[in-house]
Formats: sequence, C-alpha cells, structure tokens
Amino acid sequence: MRRAKPISRRRMLETFGVLAAAGATGMLTASIPRRAEAQQLGLQESVQDALKRVFGGRSMKDGAGIVKLDVPFIAENGAVVPVSVEVASPMTASNYVRHVYIVADKNRIPLIARATLVPEIGQATVGVAVRLGESGDVRAIVEQSDGTLLQVKREVKVTVGGCGG
Amino acid sequence: MPDIGKARVRVPSSIKPGDVIHVRVLVIHPMERIERDKQDKIIEKNYNYINKVVVTYLGKTVVTFDTTQSVSENPTFTFTLRVTDPGQIKVTFLDTARGRYEGTADITFS
Repeated sequence: MRRAKPISRRRMLETFGVLAAAGATGMLTASIPRRAEAQQLGLQESVQDALKRVFGGRSMKDGAGIVKLDVPFIAENGAVVPVSVEVASPMTASNYVRHVYIVADKNRIPLIARATLVPEIGQATVGVAVRLGESGDVRAIVEQSDGTLLQVKREVKVTVGGCGG
Repeated sequence: MPDIGKARVRVPSSIKPGDVIHVRVLVIHPMERIERDKQDKIIEKNYNYINKVVVTYLGKTVVTFDTTQSVSENPTFTFTLRVTDPGQIKVTFLDTARGRYEGTADITFS
C-alpha cells in the first residue's frame, strides 16, 4: 500500500513528461513532415485521447455492412495477430477510401497503423499483423474521400499478451 | 540480426490484365517494443521500428502504411492492387534507425 502512491505519482509525471517531450519534438521537427507525422501517430495514450487527437472529435458512423473487419475472436498469441480490413467501396476518383486506421483500445500505443490508399488500386483491402497487449476491442476506422468516418469494432480475447513494454 | 530488412513480396502466380490481386509482404525486422525498468519507467532510447511502408507500382505510389510499435515483429502487410500493365511492385520500408529496405515483385502476364 505504501508503494502505491509514489508509483502513481511517478506514472503521472512520466505521462506529462512524455506528452511534453512529444509536443516539443513535434514543434521542432515540424519542418520535416515525415518525422513529425511518424511521431504523432504512435504515442502512449488512452484510446480516447488518440481518437480525439487524430480525428478531432469528428462524428463516426457505424460502418457495419460496408467495412469488414477480419480478426480472430481468440488470439492465442498476442504478439502476432493478423488483422484485415475490407471496405466495400467503388474506388472511383470521386468516391474512394482515403485512409484505413487500425486501433487496439487496450494497447499502450493504441494507434497501430494507418494505410493511405489511392483510387487506382480498385479495391480497398488492407491487412497488418499487429500486437495486442490484452483482451479488448480492435477497431477499424475508415476515412472516405468525402471525409466520412466509418467505424467497426470487435472484441478480441488475448491469451498471452504481446506488448511486454 | 543479419537478416534484418529482408523482404519478400508475394503475388499470385497467374495474373490477367485488369485483375485485382492480393499482394502479401513480409519483412524481417525486430520492431523493438518500448522497454521499462523495474520502476515501470520507460527507458529512453531510440527504438528501432518500421514507421513507414511505401508501395509503388509502375513508379506511382499506390499504398502507404504508417505504422507504430503496436505492429508485430517481422510484420506482414497485405493489400490489393489492380494491375493493368506488366511492371514492378516495389515496397520500401523505412525505420526509425534510418534504415531503408526494399522488396520487389514483377508483374508478368502469361
């Protein structure tokens, strides 16, 4: 019990430190977009913060029927979990899928990957092998060319976590 | 690891012009996780992980992945692509240690 307080304080300080550092480096490297972007994508934060930071509180529609999230119900090994997202989209120049985000709610770094697509590829299907720290929701968020956000999520049970850090 | 950066790009064996094909990419990379000390404090260092994957076909960028440390070790990526002309699919991986790795596959029509 005695140890509980200093640790939570340390954690809090550490979180502030990380945020401050991220903010500072983000500002410093603003002139080099690729680096700044890379740092923006993967931060240690809660999933709510991550979604707010990336999408700025834009409303999301339920993507059921359009977005198909393919992920195992039970992941025995959290270190390698295949996630695949298929979007029913005409993929024409005026109506296509611009981004596909893959998010794991319980990961310390919730944003896993962002795929950027062009209409010429004909069909929007992307897959990534991800790590899952513990059981929780996995979301796929699709940003279409008109800015509409579609979200689907599914719970995955993880037997052995894969995010030791 | 001597194999780091070794990439394999797999495409279907028989392709016709206009087909939408599934491409599977595997790259050997440690994708280092954040390490913590006994006090659960993050050890500050430059973790080496892939943060960008760029796919080009016929010299044009078609798919880009921005990735974080939540992507697994030796990651695989899959995507679809409509093939119109014979040519090369080139996948470039960039990591946080300024590494740059490439994998290619040729599209040929039989």
